[in-house]
Amino acid sequence: MRGLLKNNFYIVISNIKVFSAVMVLLGIFVVLMDNAIPSLIIGYMLLAMVGFSLNSIASVRREGAGKWSKYKLTTPVKRADIVKSLFFSQVLWLVVGAAFAGICAALSIALHGYPFDRDTDIFMLFVVGIGTSLFMGAIFFPLLFLGGEERNEVFLVISLLCGIGSIMGLTTLINRFFPGGMTTAQIVLGGMGILFCGILTFAVSCPLTIGVFRKKEY
Amino acid sequence: MIVENILEVQQMSKTYRKSNFTLGQISFSLPYGAILGFVGENGAGKTTTIGCILNTVVKDSGTVKLFGREMLDSDTEIREKIGVVYDGDNFPDFFTAKQLSRVMKGLYKQWDDALFQKYLEDFHLPVKQKFKYYSKGMTMKLAIAAALSHHPQLLILDEATSGLDPVMRDEMLDVFLEFVQEEDHSILLSSHITGDLEKVADYITLIHDGRLIMTVSKNDLTYHYGVMRCRESQFLALDPGDILAYRKRDFQTDVLVSDKKEAERKYKGAVVDPVSIDEMMLLFVKGERV
Repeated sequence: MRGLLKNNFYIVISNIKVFSAVMVLLGIFVVLMDNAIPSLIIGYMLLAMVGFSLNSIASVRREGAGKWSKYKLTTPVKRADIVKSLFFSQVLWLVVGAAFAGICAALSIALHGYPFDRDTDIFMLFVVGIGTSLFMGAIFFPLLFLGGEERNEVFLVISLLCGIGSIMGLTTLINRFFPGGMTTAQIVLGGMGILFCGILTFAVSCPLTIGVFRKKEY
Repeated sequence: MIVENILEVQQMSKTYRKSNFTLGQISFSLPYGAILGFVGENGAGKTTTIGCILNTVVKDSGTVKLFGREMLDSDTEIREKIGVVYDGDNFPDFFTAKQLSRVMKGLYKQWDDALFQKYLEDFHLPVKQKFKYYSKGMTMKLAIAAALSHHPQLLILDEATSGLDPVMRDEMLDVFLEFVQEEDHSILLSSHITGDLEKVADYITLIHDGRLIMTVSKNDLTYHYGVMRCRESQFLALDPGDILAYRKRDFQTDVLVSDKKEAERKYKGAVVDPVSIDEMMLLFVKGERV
């Protein structure tokens, strides 16, 4: 597993370096700007969380170009471990994205004060960012091994849209239960529910992807 | 139980429905301490056979035994003992040798970094350069270095010498010969460069159109097999049981026989030449069988 994680790291790192540089510059800009209108900070937080995850899964295509995907199967690793390493790597990059988002939000709040209407809004931003990333990964990996690495781009778009759609759908569903508005506790509970659904879908997708990958031939 | 063969393939088959290609009932074995040359034209089924052996392709039927037992996905300890080289880009082209070594160290328990560095030095491969700047020959040498650096017992090489110039090929063949000096080491060497196999192989397995034609020891091929050069009348007089394959040319028919001394004795005045792997392959692929 250690070798697979290192492999995944080297595969993604050149893209991540560029993305991180852009995110640092953007972060400085967002922190320095007045946050009276919080759209900048909202955009930055979502971009950081979804962007790092997206980079992680998009880079899988890079190893499909040669015979490396086939070669890996001849090394002493199980097919299940190859899939698990991809899921694990995505979670790691999501944590990095969440750290970028958290640091930027914290610095902005420290410099300019709290910009949101409710205390729960910042929590909900993390829910949306993390949830979208988890749904996206859960949909992308089985599609990738089912349809082949050459269709990577279209699967990436589909899974991103599905990720956003899942969050919007769940939010709409929760809001329908509370037509008269929600209390803070209900919002937190709703957010936790969305996170739980994201984690559950991600967790279910892993064995499903392993099942698909077991039949994959190179 | 003493296992004599490092690799045993029995009645293995695989069909690709989309291309209608069938690899049919392949059986052969590779003893310990030997090099088996796996020959056949492009598309004959060599890579599919290797895929089925290594589980990168799911076989339809038959058995493949490595080190005396069938290798499942969970049998990682068997794969520890196998080194593989494919033709072309074995590793991501944005990797450096240093990065590859770190990844391999995490994959193989027996990865020997010092040995890998030695091979890199011996093969004049730059450590810090990305593989995309390597020549084809350099990438093949790198793949061979990586395959040898975890102390495998079995090397499976799929067209591993195809991108190399004659000097490099000769160098690599020496490496392979040195590898099989250990009596528990073996090599399955798939190639259509038959000259390489003539230099190093102990056995030749010929595959054509998804079918196994024959497995023969190189000694048998060299000392017993032959090609009779027959005129029309001579060819018609031959006992069909003596003909392995024949190919009609303009003014003569070439006939592959398994015992050239017997053929010379039986057919007085017949010209029987030694047969090369190339010629044997051509007779089976482009010729006909009785």
